[in-house]
Amino acid sequence: MLDASAKAFVTANTQTATVGDGKANAAACFYGSADSQTVQDGLQRAAARLEAAEKLNAGIDKVAQEAYDAAFKKYPYLKNDAKNGVKNNGEAGGSPAKQDKCLRDIKHYLRLINYSLVVGGTSPLDEWGIAGVREVYRSLNLPTAPYVAAMQYTRDRAYAPSDMSPQALAEFRALLDYVIDSLS
Amino acid sequence: MNNRFSRLFNLTEAQAIEILDAPAADSDEASGRYIAASHLVNFDTEAVIAALVRAVQKADDDLDNRIVRRKAVESLGRLKVKAALPIIASCLMDEDSYLVENAAWAIGEIGQAISLVDPAILEKLAQQLDRPGQSYRTIIHSLAALGYEPAADRIAKFTASDQAPIASAALSAMYRLKGDDKAIPQVIQFLQSLDVNARRGSIQDLIDANYYRAIPHIAQCPVSSVFRLRGIRLLAKAGMDEGKLTFAQVQPLLEKVICDHPNDVALIHHYDQPLAVKTLVQDLYGTDFGRCYLASKTLIDDLPDQAPAAMLESYESEGYNDYGAHYHLMRLFGWLKVTAAYDLLIGALNNKAPQFQKSRMAAAIALGELGEKRAITELRSALSVPIWSLQYAAILALSKLGEANIVSYLTTEPSDWLVQEKLKTL
Repeated sequence: MLDASAKAFVTANTQTATVGDGKANAAACFYGSADSQTVQDGLQRAAARLEAAEKLNAGIDKVAQEAYDAAFKKYPYLKNDAKNGVKNNGEAGGSPAKQDKCLRDIKHYLRLINYSLVVGGTSPLDEWGIAGVREVYRSLNLPTAPYVAAMQYTRDRAYAPSDMSPQALAEFRALLDYVIDSLS
Repeated sequence: MNNRFSRLFNLTEAQAIEILDAPAADSDEASGRYIAASHLVNFDTEAVIAALVRAVQKADDDLDNRIVRRKAVESLGRLKVKAALPIIASCLMDEDSYLVENAAWAIGEIGQAISLVDPAILEKLAQQLDRPGQSYRTIIHSLAALGYEPAADRIAKFTASDQAPIASAALSAMYRLKGDDKAIPQVIQFLQSLDVNARRGSIQDLIDANYYRAIPHIAQCPVSSVFRLRGIRLLAKAGMDEGKLTFAQVQPLLEKVICDHPNDVALIHHYDQPLAVKTLVQDLYGTDFGRCYLASKTLIDDLPDQAPAAMLESYESEGYNDYGAHYHLMRLFGWLKVTAAYDLLIGALNNKAPQFQKSRMAAAIALGELGEKRAITELRSALSVPIWSLQYAAILALSKLGEANIVSYLTTEPSDWLVQEKLKTL
């Protein structure tokens, strides 16, 4: 037997959440989350984080693209274009994955790092990028290696813009390490 | 190993072992050893197992080595290496909570494969519930999966956790370990949580509890259809194997999820003001599918005339390359009868890139909704693609297009049991 009426069984859904502008809603969430580190950080670190956020934001597409190119150049991915999907080779079930998935996800993580730099804590990453992700990757048997490799590349080699101060870069790299740590 | 990502990296077994064994500083990139530990799961040999064990034992505390140890433990779990249980168990006391998590998970995987785990290891696993800052959800999963009843009292305190995914796992475990029927309705409540992880986690916890009665609730949970279909499929199999459920009971729910109209999803968000069509289309790019379904429904209900142009524009600019939005756009092209998207839908139906796999199912359904007979040939071809959800969707679409003798189009007998059940009903 199945439960006859799913809605009757679920009583928690008496109040739905309001979604206005998605970003504003998300930002409100981030600012509302307590993070003790935020309190302890000095003004100097806050300035460095904001500098990193500003410069990352300005170059986020380039940073993501570099990470993605570097992480995949030595692996034999099919160079498909989703617009021309009919030309792709191989069938899901045995085919190499497509790297564009990674580009999307790398950008997603970089944006969350950006939010985290702005709010001065890891709440955005925790709530939107990391919580539950380990379990999803494991249960669906999805590969984490491409993301970890891309983040390691960004941390170690790729992104050191000449106009980002060493302090700002340190803040950025700390959050890259946080993502690597959490996804691996 | 049957994994669509198994050829992700161009490494042989020997190459991967060599990279994994190399001193970290000698790896040409920090990621090399991590990739190797991940990739070796594709080779179930003694040499690989020995290499993975060596990697676990390499205890350098820097981050780049820690992540290798975690991945090596995970790979040993996936390979279900019984002989590795002691070394994996030794990781349970590590300071690295993610290593503890992976060890707990691997013990669960291996334990279920061999059916008997040393009680001392299980007790050690249970003791991690008392340590602060651990991944309690994973630890609880493994203890429940291995039926370690002595841990029940320690798990019980997590049923009141303020972290919904942990509470959900604990409630499910109490049902499994102690037969606590009152726990399940609480797990089901989490299907409507504002926390997307709680919603996804709840589906997993209902799967683990083998609670097939929850299929109607899972069917309308506002998460990606991938999670719902996985839950329905596993639970339907369990219920049918026990003779407690028939395909006829599951079929309408299953087909609603495959069609995935937002009206069949129990939404938990709402807009507090009318939004512009562009904003709504942009909401299709969100990572919480609950919001994407809200945007889909609003576009269908409120802006059916404006939406198609905005959707096509969005597809061209970024949607073609965003596997989340891509799925929602394909569905909406069908629901809104966007004939101009016909070629895009045919492309999506045949797109073999793994991350666009669920878009193939959506495209099949949408082509059926468009009502254009010219899609029949392509949909017939889709019946032969070895993806059960796509085969099923193609059958639904062909039926929608008035095709009566679908069975005659099959070049081979479908191997999937759900597709077979569906064919019996035609």
